[in-house]
Amino acid sequence: MTEPLRDLSPDALFAAGEEMELNFGPQHPSTHGVLRLKLRVDGERIIDCYPIIGYLHRGTEKLFELHPFFQNVPHTDRMDYVAAATNNLAYVGAVEKLVGLVVPPRARYIRTLLAELQRISSHLLWLATHAIDIGAMTPFFYCFREREQILDLFEQYCGARLTLNCMRPGGLPFDLPVGWTDRCRAFVEVFPSKVDEYEGLLTNNRIWKRRTVGIGVLDAATAIDYGISGPMLRGSGVAWDLRKAMPYEAYGEVEFDVPVGKNGDTYDRYLVRIEEMRQANRILAQCLDQLPAGPIMAKRPRVLKAPKESEVYHGIEGPKGEIGFYIVGDGTPNPYRCHVRPPSFINLQVLPELTKGHLLADLVALIGTTDIVLGEVDR
Amino acid sequence: MNPVNRFLDKIMLLDLFAGLGITFKNMLRKKVTVQYPEERWEPAHRFRGMFRLDEDRCIKCTICAKDCPIDIIYIDWHNEVSPETGKKEKVLTRFDIDVQRCMFCGLCEEGCPTDPKSIWLTTKTYELASYDRWSNLYVDMEELQQWRVRPAYTDEEIA
Amino acid sequence: MPSWLESAREAVGPTLFDYAVSPAVKILVLMFLGILPLITYLVLAERKILGFIQARVGPNRVGPWGLLQPIADVLKLLVKEDTMPHQAVKWAFVLAPCLVVAPALIIFAVIPMGPRPAGEGLAWYITDVNTGALLVVALATIGVYGLILGGWSSNNKFSLMGGLRSAAQMISYEVPQGLALVGPLMLAGSLSLIDIVESQRALGLWFFVPQIVAFFIYVVAGVAESNRNPFDLPEAESELVAGFHTEYSGMRFALFFLGEYANMIVVSAVATTLFLGGWLRPFPNVEWLAFLDWVPPVLWFSLKVFAFLFVYIWFRGTFPRYRFDQLMDLGWKWMIPLALANILVTGLVKLAL
Repeated sequence: MTEPLRDLSPDALFAAGEEMELNFGPQHPSTHGVLRLKLRVDGERIIDCYPIIGYLHRGTEKLFELHPFFQNVPHTDRMDYVAAATNNLAYVGAVEKLVGLVVPPRARYIRTLLAELQRISSHLLWLATHAIDIGAMTPFFYCFREREQILDLFEQYCGARLTLNCMRPGGLPFDLPVGWTDRCRAFVEVFPSKVDEYEGLLTNNRIWKRRTVGIGVLDAATAIDYGISGPMLRGSGVAWDLRKAMPYEAYGEVEFDVPVGKNGDTYDRYLVRIEEMRQANRILAQCLDQLPAGPIMAKRPRVLKAPKESEVYHGIEGPKGEIGFYIVGDGTPNPYRCHVRPPSFINLQVLPELTKGHLLADLVALIGTTDIVLGEVDR
Repeated sequence: MNPVNRFLDKIMLLDLFAGLGITFKNMLRKKVTVQYPEERWEPAHRFRGMFRLDEDRCIKCTICAKDCPIDIIYIDWHNEVSPETGKKEKVLTRFDIDVQRCMFCGLCEEGCPTDPKSIWLTTKTYELASYDRWSNLYVDMEELQQWRVRPAYTDEEIA
Repeated sequence: MPSWLESAREAVGPTLFDYAVSPAVKILVLMFLGILPLITYLVLAERKILGFIQARVGPNRVGPWGLLQPIADVLKLLVKEDTMPHQAVKWAFVLAPCLVVAPALIIFAVIPMGPRPAGEGLAWYITDVNTGALLVVALATIGVYGLILGGWSSNNKFSLMGGLRSAAQMISYEVPQGLALVGPLMLAGSLSLIDIVESQRALGLWFFVPQIVAFFIYVVAGVAESNRNPFDLPEAESELVAGFHTEYSGMRFALFFLGEYANMIVVSAVATTLFLGGWLRPFPNVEWLAFLDWVPPVLWFSLKVFAFLFVYIWFRGTFPRYRFDQLMDLGWKWMIPLALANILVTGLVKLAL
């Protein structure tokens, strides 16, 4: 104010007229980590949005090359750190395909259980943060209350709550502890009533509807063009779910529906995710009923070696979309190259498209609805 | 929905009252907070916490150090003639773990070939915070053997 | 009037006592024993109630049940560094918190907490202005300048947006709030808040029964006016970080905070006075409920205000936040027409009777 115009760049001078450049994040409560968005806003209306990533880059893909296959499982935990089990599953699935291991049925079922528990827990975290971004404080705590029970189940199974490291190429490190299935069943029975509670607070609430209906409409064609996957894609009406399309683990043997949205807006994506939680619960119940006995580890050598000049891609339906691993083997125990297809990173690309013309308040709803985890975006 | 119902819906605010009802019901429910320093959360049997080493069981194979994805286990050993048997035996010179960098993946325990394991994480110790950045979380052999004993964790627990 | 007061009045002279000493003492008592402790403990109550709603227990470390928490908070805010951003507009930056908190506190002067004293007694209010309701509306409007100035002078884009949002919110909600007040004023035929309560006694009914529409509009507009959820857009922490008070710290931040909670109490007190019969007991004219009279009027008044404050906190624990344009939409397209219709109907009914 005291030194007008002197230290303003030409861009800023331009902005001083009508538009303003706003730096949203990386230190912002609702960017879900360290996402930085460079916004051009006219008042509150967003003209342009430019995501800047890389604040959490740890070179995970390079790390993969330095370790034998089994040592990389803990590194996959740290990509999408709220859905470690599905990351593990995608990675060990890729390694099994590469090496040619057949997973015993009990291990497949337990993996399915863990993956679906992880899906619920990831969706709960999404709902919690999405709701608190839009201003509803209380669902956050209710979701965490239930998520905590899932984390307890994980802890009883593998000893960790978040970074699970709960799968190995060829099977599982442990069998289920005594009483785990009963505790899991107890959770499965209670959980739908809790979902009703979240829905009671949000689904019909007029404020919630006004904040989400018609916000960030993503049509099916655009979604496919951008390579969107997961609930984001299904919210736009495309019934594409790898669990149905290319069943892996025990998904071919359980019944579940793939919820699909109509309008492709934030509200539809919300409904899809809520319904996915209920369906995941259904899968859990079936897996617990059908859980076979038997070994939990395939017959495998202690040191896994990929065949020479082999490559493989294996993708699964993670909570956020298709999480896939592309591994090149060169005959050594280490992968020659490992590339990750992270759903958060690819879903994030559509954010500028979604935000165009919306208000600043919608931006946080849209960041919430893309359900990104920066650990996975930056890797 | 017919227009009358839609209008009534707009006026009656039933959706908002339903939400208020849910929060009120929850207000009277039991709380889930664990009052930490007074009540302590009891970890599960398999909880991966602080390390413990049993020097006698250890056969100095260094598989744990090799299996560690981030190489934070440092093992040196030398040969000594045992006064009892008169044979040469491997003796640990150093067994250090740089716990600051540890990610508690448990691969060292999994790789340990002895039965029972000579290094394990199921000590139910999770209060690892310290004021000192450089020394407290770099634990050596003596410290590694001071943590609580392994809790009951038998094959019966495994279904 | 007790004899010691009588003698004090003799000592300083009746005029000076009635117009200077007695109000000053009342203001001091009300401020330092009433409003300010109430505000600090309201913060605690809010945190506790929100905690209970959210399946947790809220603050419970400082003193039993966290009862000393407000004192700790105040101490912390008092000794905290008071920062000012580079290139902030200093006078506005300093003035803004005062502009928020002062009008909110001044309003308490006209809010009656008990009836007019019979004969020469001490009244349960500081002053009886015959345009009390107008004064309330006028003073409540000033507070928003503080928010705008604070947001603008901080030299922070997020704060600026918060300030502008509060300006838009003020325009949209002062109008329906003022219009909602007209209904009870028409029924009472007076602008003095004490007369309004007395006419509710005369009617035998609290005004929220005949004026249910106005009551709802007033409550909603009141929530919006005090920037509380679901209308807490100016400070929306998930969007604007903290909106207009992003850059404030220490005691200046505390003043903003104080202003917000004082505003909550003001809105509750005014709503109680206008719609819920102020200090009157329920059904003030029903004889067999006369045993309720042993509860002093000021307690009835406080009880109603507390009920309101609870509803405020309950709202915060339940609802998502409106968007800036939706809030104006609600204000202009629903509340103002409804409030006008309410005035029209009230007028017609009053003419017909």
